Amino acid sequence: MPETGRSALRVDDVEKSFRSGETAVTVLRDVTFELASGEAVVVTGPSGSGKSTLLHLLGLLDRPTAGRVRIGGLDPWGLDKEERARFRNRSVGFVFQDAHLLPQYSVFENVLLPALAFSDRAAGAAGRAEELVARVGLAHRRDHRPAALSGGERQRVAVARALMNSPTLLLCDEPTGSLDATTAETVADLLFELHRDRAATLVVVTHSDELAGRFQRRLELREGRCSEV
Amino acid sequence: MLRGLIHYWRASLAVALGAAVATTVLSGALVVGDSLRGSLRDQTQERLGAVDLALEASRPFPESLVERLAATSAGGDSRLGGGLAVRASARHAELGSVASQVALVGVRPDFLALFPEGDQVALDRPEGSFFTPVTLNRSLADELTAEVGDEVVLTFERPDDVPRESLLGRRDDTHRLASLRGTVTGILDDRGLGGFRLDPSQTVRLNAFVPARDLARAAARIGELDLLVADLPDGQAAGVAEQELAEALEGVLGPEDVGLQVRIGAGWVQVESSSLVLAAPVAAAARAAAEALGAPAEPALVHLANRIVSETGFVPYSTVLATDWADAGSGLLELAAGDARLGAGAGGEGSAEDAVILDAWTAEALEVSPGDRVRMEYFVTGPDDGLTVDSTTLRVAGVAAMTGAAVDPTWVPNLPGVSDAEDMGSWDPPFPVDLSWVGERDEEYWDHYRGAPKVFLPLGLGQSLWGSRFGDLTTLRVRVPEGEEPAAFARRLEEEVIHRLPRAAQGLELRPVRREALEAASGNTDFAGLFLGFSMFLIAAAALLVALLFSLAVEGRAREIGLLLAVGYPLPAVRRRFLGEGAILALFGVALGALGSRWYASAVLAGVESWWGRLLPGAFLEVHWRPLSLAAGLVSALLLILVTLATTLRRLLALPPRRLLAADTAVEAEPGRGGPWPRRLLAGAGAVTVVLAGSAVVVGGSDPALFFSLGAAACTAGLAAFAVWCGRGGGGLGVGVGPLGRWRMAVRSARRSPGRSVLAVALVGAASFVLVAVAANRGHGVDLTAGRSSGTGGYTILAESDVSIHGDPLAPGRLAGTEPRDRQALEGLELTPLRLRSGDDASCLNLYQPAEPRIVGVTPAFVERGGFAFAETLEPAEEPWRLLQAAAEPGVVPAIGDANSVRWILHLGLGDELTLVDDHGEEVRLRIVGLLAGSLFQSELLISESAFLRHFPSQGGFRLLLGDSAPGAVGTTARALEVALSRYGVDATGTAERIEAYQAVEGMYLATFQALGGLGLLLGTLGLGVILARNVAERRGELATMRAFGFRRSTLGWLVVGENAFLSSAGLAVGAGAGLLAVAPRLAAHPETVPWLSLAATLTAVFAAGLLASVVAVTVALRTPMLGVLKEE
Repeated sequence: MPETGRSALRVDDVEKSFRSGETAVTVLRDVTFELASGEAVVVTGPSGSGKSTLLHLLGLLDRPTAGRVRIGGLDPWGLDKEERARFRNRSVGFVFQDAHLLPQYSVFENVLLPALAFSDRAAGAAGRAEELVARVGLAHRRDHRPAALSGGERQRVAVARALMNSPTLLLCDEPTGSLDATTAETVADLLFELHRDRAATLVVVTHSDELAGRFQRRLELREGRCSEV
Repeated sequence: MLRGLIHYWRASLAVALGAAVATTVLSGALVVGDSLRGSLRDQTQERLGAVDLALEASRPFPESLVERLAATSAGGDSRLGGGLAVRASARHAELGSVASQVALVGVRPDFLALFPEGDQVALDRPEGSFFTPVTLNRSLADELTAEVGDEVVLTFERPDDVPRESLLGRRDDTHRLASLRGTVTGILDDRGLGGFRLDPSQTVRLNAFVPARDLARAAARIGELDLLVADLPDGQAAGVAEQELAEALEGVLGPEDVGLQVRIGAGWVQVESSSLVLAAPVAAAARAAAEALGAPAEPALVHLANRIVSETGFVPYSTVLATDWADAGSGLLELAAGDARLGAGAGGEGSAEDAVILDAWTAEALEVSPGDRVRMEYFVTGPDDGLTVDSTTLRVAGVAAMTGAAVDPTWVPNLPGVSDAEDMGSWDPPFPVDLSWVGERDEEYWDHYRGAPKVFLPLGLGQSLWGSRFGDLTTLRVRVPEGEEPAAFARRLEEEVIHRLPRAAQGLELRPVRREALEAASGNTDFAGLFLGFSMFLIAAAALLVALLFSLAVEGRAREIGLLLAVGYPLPAVRRRFLGEGAILALFGVALGALGSRWYASAVLAGVESWWGRLLPGAFLEVHWRPLSLAAGLVSALLLILVTLATTLRRLLALPPRRLLAADTAVEAEPGRGGPWPRRLLAGAGAVTVVLAGSAVVVGGSDPALFFSLGAAACTAGLAAFAVWCGRGGGGLGVGVGPLGRWRMAVRSARRSPGRSVLAVALVGAASFVLVAVAANRGHGVDLTAGRSSGTGGYTILAESDVSIHGDPLAPGRLAGTEPRDRQALEGLELTPLRLRSGDDASCLNLYQPAEPRIVGVTPAFVERGGFAFAETLEPAEEPWRLLQAAAEPGVVPAIGDANSVRWILHLGLGDELTLVDDHGEEVRLRIVGLLAGSLFQSELLISESAFLRHFPSQGGFRLLLGDSAPGAVGTTARALEVALSRYGVDATGTAERIEAYQAVEGMYLATFQALGGLGLLLGTLGLGVILARNVAERRGELATMRAFGFRRSTLGWLVVGENAFLSSAGLAVGAGAGLLAVAPRLAAHPETVPWLSLAATLTAVFAAGLLASVVAVTVALRTPMLGVLKEE
């Protein structure tokens, strides 16, 4: 386990509603929790409970209808677009259920991708990407394109890509959801290993009891409300 | 199916609109072709009124012919009209404005009755006016700035039966030219009667209508016409009615109609011609007729000796009769021996070739007797058609007593001004006479014997001295068979001769002018094919658009397809269902397109009219639908769309249901994907490029076909190279890193969907190739610096006259009344005269199909001078013009024409032949032996002068003049020439201007092609936008991921737009580069003539439109929420 410290993520009374015609559907309500730096938490809940919505809010992909999300003590929604994008690029890493790799790029280039969003982060990026590719065990597949990879390999690339900019917050949305049990376990092992090594705060959304069982802290979402299990 | 279409109405509408665009363009091109043809047909119908048939005689005929024909059964069923038409020049009596190339038509009421506008032409003098009423058409009125009530003077050449160039022809302008002063009583619209013309050309002729009787009087042809028109009865098969009327005409033709004169004597009938010489076909017909009637005939050639000179004196102006007197068995030539030596002398000492018999009076006057020699002086026609004096020495073989033929003036055709003169002193002959030579003794002779022959020559000798292109006989005396009345025999002989005369040579045949004109109205070009070709890219782009839109629509329903397949629908059923929906949309689109095609055709025609209006005045363009071609267009469009839809559907249905259920229709790049074809194509096209480039370097020529092939091969190789690049696997280090990182990322993205990227690049590349190649060929101008080897041949002025000019056009006598200023402008101007036979304009300025092009006879001096640029010759020749003088088999005449006209208008090639009927009524085959490049001779075919005179002897004098003045003074000199030779109706223009007019038409075609190609490229660009939208839609996951990693919208937008910019740039680079290669010779020779600016503007506009489309597509795509793509919940 990585050493935990000061607050890495704080969620206060977050509410998220979507409008569907005249009606407003509230997906999340009064969600409050806090994670310390280096802490790992799993978010579970039935389908439609708002898990992914919560993850998008944490990853600044969407804005809460009410409440506040602070990352590293900072409210990113107080920043302008440019700064917020830069903040997200630097501080947040994503792993999706589908790896969402760019098919025209090689494994190496996909891992490198987050470093290319801002040119000032490109320095030394190639070396870091090489290291991460090797770290996820795909050095031999370095120049292969995603179409040539297995599902597990793709997800390992996605994990490496998520860590490219050494984020303080690593968000994973069903990272093993598309994988068979064995591959899922391998990917989960890798995720935990890297989390341990890099001391990032890890939030994983999953339906998988196996994966959830490996976390010490677990948040349960039911009908938009969050509770610690 | 309908519910599906309605539910997805946006996608359905897009597909239907795409189909409508494709149909509009495809059918529209056919409608444009129909419209051009239809407009020309309308113009033909309007300008011909009710005229179906027309007889245009080469010489006037008695007015009574119309009445005689009308009295026949077939003639009575038809409506007939008569007229007299001459070429004229017109001058405004007060303003002095001049118009040449005017058609002056003398009309009778029955002529006018065949036109709806006929009642607008006045035939009676306006009240208070002394002058003849003249009705102008709008074009002529505008040219003269004339209004109703103004006076105009119309000058024209009198029709004369006697050839101007013959001894007895009237050469002096006083006799040749006539004027008619008239008061403008009306101005007709250029359509209808105002545009009356029988030859096929869309150009509005400058028409002036006057009463036929007034024109005949001014032309000294009272009671004569040369035009007969007929409106066939309705309800009868045209062919039958034509035939019946033609037969009726045959039945009523009399000797006076064909210019035959038959003199009846005691026991003989003599055939003569109003032209004073029996043209070869007439002589042949007369001899054949006599033979058919079993009557012996004596041919004779009568000439005038200026002087018969002996050692002691001379006898002036004596008639010479050349006959076969030496062996005449006809008994028609009665010569009694004036002394004992006549009989022996005929074949006696010396040869018969120089033997001559003098009548006793002449022998006495010259104090000669048989065996003596006399010199005979006489006129002959010189090389410039003027008269020169020639002489020959002859041996007196005998002396004839003053009886029989020696005192018989009836051997001599009647020559007005001479035959009817009281005495020799009052002669008014068409040739110069020195009356000081005429003494009392001569007058006494005239009093007694008139023009009886004084000298008798063997016919062969006479023909060798005086035979000409107009004929070598003047008379055929035929013995009346025993027991038959001479008058009755004369009638039989007339009928036989007339029956044998070739009608075409005399114009005495009723031509189906309406049918011919309507056939010619189909145009010299397949306009539908032309506009289909022009619209090629537009059609391809529209089809591409349909494919893309349908693809989008079906991909949007991929889950539905996947579900149907998953629940057990058989694949053919699913295919039928979606193809059925596609067919409904296609039908709907085609129906919309049918309406659109009319709009499209209107728009194209409006463009064509605005462009062509300046170049091709008189082209009235209106939309015409021909059900068959419209149906063909619609069916073709429907098939094209259905094939497109079926192909698109087949690709989608080939995807596994699993992927369809996941809406995963994206085609992802895989290393080496696409098979080996790009590499093979690259290897093949590359090899061809290298070989062609090598050939170009080795040969060192500038063959356009070679270079175009080289460009096309290079374009293909370039596109194949791009395809290979797209299909290459792997990636380099550090994409996106460094200053050009973003650009490299964009470029890499282009490999994501190699098929689409190659398609996009190919579309832009092919269009750019054509646009560049076409633009480089536009507006290449006239290179005057090339001098003689240019299309102008080094001449700067081209003039054409209505009235033929004999002798030096700028002879001092002709310039007598010319203003000093104009005379000064003409100083030093040397004119090269050429002969011209009128015909149809064979240049691209004429939209009709020319049947009989203008023929130009080039003089030996012109051939000697050489010049002009030759595109090709039938056989290698250092001096190509000499090919005109090469010997050819009988009936074949070598001809040279402009390459463009010969190939594209006459549809002939080197070695091909164009058959015409010459003045003798015989077929003459003009064989193309040389093709000129970009010359000023696009309206005509050129043959040698000798062949011209041999086959077209009636075309006397020179009507085409080429001049060489200082380039800066062309306008002044041309104007001065027009003024100085205004009585000949000379229209002068700069040669460069003429060639530019031709090039402007060529440029107009190219511009049309470019405009439609550009439109196609724009539509293709829209297709690129759709491709882009699809790409963006498929990549929403990627883009969302990148957003999740902090990429800004602007960065993502830049990447996608950059990708599109890269594809467009690649296409432009490949296409434009290859295009420049294809036109390298022209670029090297005349880089300044390429419209770089407009070309760059077109390509930039296309590039910018593509970028704009991509910006719109990206903006829309990036605005839609992306979170759902990352995880649907």
